[in-house]
Amino acid sequence: MLKRIEDWNYYELLLVERTASPDEIWAAYQAALTTYQTGSPALYGLVTEAERGLVLERVQEAFQTLRDPATRKEYDLALLRRAPYFPPKAPFRKSVGKLEIEEALPKKGLWARIKAIVFRRHDA
Amino acid sequence: MDKRIWAIGGGKGGTGKSFLAASLGLHLASLDREVVLVDADLGAPNLHTLLGIKASHPDLGDFLTNAVPSLAEAAVETPYRNLRIVKGSENILFIANLNHYRKLRLLRQLRQMEAPNIILDLGTGSSFNTLDFFLSANPGVVVSTPEPTSIENTYLFLKSCIMRVLKLYMDHYKIRDLHQRMLEQIEKNSQSLYGFFKSLMESDRAYGTILYRALRGFRPCLVMNKTRDDRDVLLGRSIADVARKYLLIDMQYLGAVPYDEDVLSSLRELRPFYLEHGDSAAARAVRRMSEELAYSIEFTLRTPPEIRLPDA
Repeated sequence: MLKRIEDWNYYELLLVERTASPDEIWAAYQAALTTYQTGSPALYGLVTEAERGLVLERVQEAFQTLRDPATRKEYDLALLRRAPYFPPKAPFRKSVGKLEIEEALPKKGLWARIKAIVFRRHDA
Repeated sequence: MDKRIWAIGGGKGGTGKSFLAASLGLHLASLDREVVLVDADLGAPNLHTLLGIKASHPDLGDFLTNAVPSLAEAAVETPYRNLRIVKGSENILFIANLNHYRKLRLLRQLRQMEAPNIILDLGTGSSFNTLDFFLSANPGVVVSTPEPTSIENTYLFLKSCIMRVLKLYMDHYKIRDLHQRMLEQIEKNSQSLYGFFKSLMESDRAYGTILYRALRGFRPCLVMNKTRDDRDVLLGRSIADVARKYLLIDMQYLGAVPYDEDVLSSLRELRPFYLEHGDSAAARAVRRMSEELAYSIEFTLRTPPEIRLPDA
């Protein structure tokens, strides 16, 4: 789903599952701190200093919320109220060999276009 | 037959694309899998040298000039079992500026070639030829090193791939006016890709959805090469995280290949590093990555979106 970084929830921000253990959250927080620290080479050429600061602030906010079981529970309930959570499913085979492009709207065929022209003339 | 085309690419020269391609090829061949290495570095081919083989004919240029009728006939045996190679052409001026028709012919032949594993060693940069070869493959592996210049070029390469994917879909749906809008918006700042999609979703949700799904179908892998410490290893994870947030792509970090002085010494002796130093940490890392890619359920189930190139 298309989301702005400001709209990512704390789990998405730290790249952990909602079922993540406190240790996993700690490890993800450390990794995020490394990514968004001042002068981080991972941001070179793509992210401005102001954007880096904003994300780092949110990362810290996320960790402060998720490290404490009480605040985490409260946050999880708030998330559930917004949208129910379904754990990730196993990958499944979906139209293998077909183009993703085929899932798009069908193009108007020749016959449909001829009909449109004929009926418009007939009506007139 | 479970056929897979691997592409090894990246934005900067000297990151170790050819080294990784040769090592992956040798490893897969050692597992009794038939492998064809294709030196698709059109401007500076040297994959054969990494395998300790001299340049000779037939090569890719012979196929492109119709001197040999098919790509399969340009694939010559190597001293290593199960491994064949399509060498790069010595006629660099002609090959580096490959025209559209020849590129399509090469792409078609790569798809038709009867080999379970084809590994493309791509050149540096973001020319349409390189991007189209990279986007036709699955898995597509981007190789970077921990230097800021390499990281900067990696992001540029990824951005170019994204814009190429979107442009091909725009051309297919004849919504070319969007292309100019995309170019103008994406250059603005790091969150501009999000901004572009957001405004597109508001103005035309159907096309916005198509293009967003096309973008999500582009899922490259990242390899950090020549790492010297844990910070360099973690850097790869950070880059994948940043690409996910700012470029909206799901990039998988495969891992790091540690720096090894012996790579250079093997090259000087014209002997493949992977065979000479099979127990080194670098060779072990390559083994782990190739097995992850070869047996990963995700890559087994997923086929890349076919790139439909415009006719002209």
